[in-house]
Amino acid sequence: MRTLVFIPAWNEEASISEVIADVRKAMPRVDILVVDDGSADATTRTARENGVLVATLPFNQGLGAALQTGYLHALREGYDFCAHLDADGQHPAPEVARLLAEVEADRADLVIGSRYTDPAAEVGVDDYQPTFSRRIGTSVFRFFLTLATRQRFTDTTSGMRAANRRVMSLFSRHYSPDFAEIESLQLAVREGLRVEEVPVRMLERAGGSSFLTPLRSAFFIFKGVVVLLVGQFRPRRVEAER
Amino acid sequence: MSPLAAVSDPTTVHLTSQTRILAALLAIAFMFAILELIRRDRLQERYSVIWFVAGLGMLAGAAFPGLLELVADAMGVRDTNVALFSIVLFFLLALALNFSVIMSRQAAQITRLAQERALEKVREQAAEERNGNGAALAEKPLQPEEKGL
Repeated sequence: MRTLVFIPAWNEEASISEVIADVRKAMPRVDILVVDDGSADATTRTARENGVLVATLPFNQGLGAALQTGYLHALREGYDFCAHLDADGQHPAPEVARLLAEVEADRADLVIGSRYTDPAAEVGVDDYQPTFSRRIGTSVFRFFLTLATRQRFTDTTSGMRAANRRVMSLFSRHYSPDFAEIESLQLAVREGLRVEEVPVRMLERAGGSSFLTPLRSAFFIFKGVVVLLVGQFRPRRVEAER
Repeated sequence: MSPLAAVSDPTTVHLTSQTRILAALLAIAFMFAILELIRRDRLQERYSVIWFVAGLGMLAGAAFPGLLELVADAMGVRDTNVALFSIVLFFLLALALNFSVIMSRQAAQITRLAQERALEKVREQAAEERNGNGAALAEKPLQPEEKGL
């Protein structure tokens, strides 16, 4: 049984080494792939110096394309399971291991790490403090995604996930480049895959700030709702692999 | 005077022979421009068809001004100018949409190409490491991460 953990990274030379070390420590037996989404800094070199394989996209293509690269690699190289986490140090590797345990036990095809423990409450497991616009976005996406999938999701934009080969096969063919996180959940549920959320502990991002200004957030939310709406009318695809 | 027509009665268009000749010449020049773009490989044939159709439409309009009135009548529009502008507007809108579709397809193709290249690099790196020559890292000139150094 082989497992791949991939880390999409865009200009993360400062934190990538730590994340790699964290994954190695928590999951000594997995293979690690860093997907460098056309970074302008030394992300690729730093990752290679840490002794991991690096898929370097020739130019920045967005998170969705980077994640799809990881799924594609996992599928083609014959991995049984894969997981991904953010490169900025927000996602503790031991939590990723817990997600992987769920797919390995075949309790789900796709497992999402949710930073909100109790679906009903807005409180996080730790002292995670989302900003106001983030909270609005979270609620809106939660509402619409739940409506669209008839399944309860609390952390729709989580970038910490574990998956099996059915998901790899689906996502390597269809993965929205703009709305990676949300649309992929909708797609997976529509295709009849078992998607499950597991509460996880997340950390504050180590450095840098969120890219979201209020105006951008509003646009982001609007775009997300449109994408979800359109997604409801997409034809279902035939699943290739079981 | 309007460049298109000397309008005496708003319900019909009376093109002077001068404007008709001018319009016909413009249409012909337009089609020659398309031809020239194709000849110089600046425009692909498959994207030129629509422009030839547009050029022929212009030519037809110049040669037979009555056509436009027929069309306006069929549309139930009293003012021929309104009919003309509506048609042109709709045509341009459809064309812009067509371009968005083409653009989306090409964006998807570019993404897949980038991904394939990235995965190829992974295989190259894996092969290098198997051969135990880590020094080969330095000899690739176009690595994005090295451009900034």
